[in-house]
Amino acid sequence: MSEGFAIQGIGVERRYGGFSALKGVDIAVKRGEIRGLIGPNGAGKSTLIDVLSGRVRGQPGRVLLDGKDVSGLKPQERRRLGLARSFQRTNIFPALSVEQQLRIASWAVADAGVEEVMAELNLTALAGMPAAEISYGDQRRLDLALALVGRPRVLLLDEPAAGLTVEESHGLATILRDLANRWNVTVLLVEHDMQVVFSICDGITVLHLGQKLAEGGVADIRADQRVVTAYLGTEA
Amino acid sequence: MTSIVDKGAPAEVRPASKTARILGVAALALAIGIAAPWLVASKLTLSLTTQAIFDALLATSVGFLVLQNGRVSFGQAAFFGLGGYAFGVLVARQLMAPELAFILALALPTLIAFLLGIVFARITGVAHAMLTLAVGQAFYEVAFRWRELAKGDDGMSFELPERFFGFASRHFQDPAVMVVVAWSILVLALAGLALFVNSRVGQIAAAVRDNEERARFIGHDTTIPPAIVYAISAFLAAIAGLLQATYNGYIAPQMFHWSLSGSALIMAVVGGAQFIVGPAIGAVCFFFLKDFAGRFAEYWPAIVGTVLVAVTLLMPQGMVGLASRAWTGRRSKP
Repeated sequence: MSEGFAIQGIGVERRYGGFSALKGVDIAVKRGEIRGLIGPNGAGKSTLIDVLSGRVRGQPGRVLLDGKDVSGLKPQERRRLGLARSFQRTNIFPALSVEQQLRIASWAVADAGVEEVMAELNLTALAGMPAAEISYGDQRRLDLALALVGRPRVLLLDEPAAGLTVEESHGLATILRDLANRWNVTVLLVEHDMQVVFSICDGITVLHLGQKLAEGGVADIRADQRVVTAYLGTEA
Repeated sequence: MTSIVDKGAPAEVRPASKTARILGVAALALAIGIAAPWLVASKLTLSLTTQAIFDALLATSVGFLVLQNGRVSFGQAAFFGLGGYAFGVLVARQLMAPELAFILALALPTLIAFLLGIVFARITGVAHAMLTLAVGQAFYEVAFRWRELAKGDDGMSFELPERFFGFASRHFQDPAVMVVVAWSILVLALAGLALFVNSRVGQIAAAVRDNEERARFIGHDTTIPPAIVYAISAFLAAIAGLLQATYNGYIAPQMFHWSLSGSALIMAVVGGAQFIVGPAIGAVCFFFLKDFAGRFAEYWPAIVGTVLVAVTLLMPQGMVGLASRAWTGRRSKP
C-alpha cells in the first residue's frame, strides 16, 4: 500500500492538553517529489514536520519511511535511515567551524560527501570559519547542509528561506530544486514564500486548523476556492 | 547568495600532524620535568610544586567539564576524595595488593561519574551546579560521619606497604621523586585530553555541548559522549586525590569538601577554561600566589581575593586567553 511513497504520515495527531494541533492528518509524498506544505499560521505545518522527524513521539498515528514504520524511532535513528530535517529557527553549532560540523554530521551516515555538500551550497570558502561568525544567509545554507550530508532519502524543510532576502531565497530555491533532482531526494517543504513554493514544488498540501484542507498540483491549488479564502487571498 | 571571494578552502591542520605536535610538546615537557629535581635544590620548593601539580590536575578535571560539556561542577572534589579514600582504605586494611587498590581507586570514581553523567548531562546551568554540589557534599558527609571507615572527621594516616609498583614506597613520599611522577602524569593527562578533543567522540561531545537537539537530528546519540567526558574528568580528579593520599599517607574528609571543588573551579576559570592547559596554569599560579601572600601578610586571603577580582575583570578568557590573544594579535600584524 505504501509502494512508491518515500514518506508517509497516517492519521497523525498532536494534542496539547485539550487542544489538538493536528487532527488525524494523512500525508504521502512520492519518491523524488518536492511537496509544498502551506497554510496560515497555526495550521500545524511545523508540528507535522516535528512528528514526521521524530521530535514529537508517542502520539496517535503512524509515520512510514519507504514503507517501514518508524513511529517508535528516535530522531537520530530516523536520520541514520535517511530522514533528515532542517529548522525554522537556525539550528547549527555556533562554536564549531563549518567544515567540522559537517564532518561530525557525516560520521552518522554512510556516503558522506562533505566536500560535495559544501561546494553545492557555496560554503567551501567558509569551511574554516566558526558558524557563529558567518552571515545569516550563510547560516541558513549551513543548516540545510547539515541535513543534506549523506544524501538523505527524505528531506523535511521547515521554512528554509525564513528571513532571507528575495534574491537569496530564490537562489536557495534553485539549489534545492537542482539537488533534489540530481540526488533523487524527496522533499517536504514548509514555506511562506508562495513564489518559492509555486516555482519548485511538484505538488502542494494545504493545512488549515490542524486538518488537511486540500491537496493537488500547483495549478489546482492556486485555483481552489477554499484555499484562496483560507490562505492565499489575492496573492495567487 | 552571499558573494564568495575566495574559492580555496582555508588551510586546515591535518589530524595526523596535530597528533604529532601534541606528542612532541608532551615529550619536551616530560624531559623538563625529569630534569627538575637536579635543577632545583630546595626540598621545600619541590614539595610545594608537587602540591601545586595535584591542584593543577584537579583544576584540569573541572575545567575539562566546562570546556567539553559546557557544564559547571561544584562537586568535582567527590571524585578527588573517592580516589584518595578508596586507595587509603584498601591499603590501610591490607585488603589487596596496593597495585590492585591503585587501579580500583581510579576505576571506581570513573565508573560512578560515567553513570551520573548519563543523568547530569541532561541538566544545565544552575540546576546542574546545585546537583553536583549536593552529590559532592553527600560523599563528604559519609566520610565525615562514618568513623569506622577512616576515623571520620579526624582523618586517617596509613602506611604504604614496603614496595609499590616494584619501587621502595618511601620514594613516593619524597618530593624529588613525586614531583616528577606528578608532573609526568599531568603532562600525559593534558596530552591525552588534547588527543581526545580531536577524536570523534570528543568532537561529538563538543557538538552536543553546542546544540544538543541538532546533534540528535544529524544522527548522533547524545547521551554517551558527554557521559564519557564526565568519566574522563572524574578519572583525572581521582588521580589527583590518589597521588595526594599516597604522597601524604593521609586521607581526610576535607578531600571531598565543596570548597575544594569551588577553588578548583576558580583556578580553572582564572587560567582559562576554554583551553586545555588553562586550568593547570591557573592552578599553579593560584597556588604560588597563595603561598607568597601567606608568607608576607596575616590577612593573605584578602590579597588573593583582590587579585582574583582583578584577573576576572581584566581577563574574561583567563590568563591563557589573554596570552593567546596577544600572540595571535602580534602574528597577524604585518
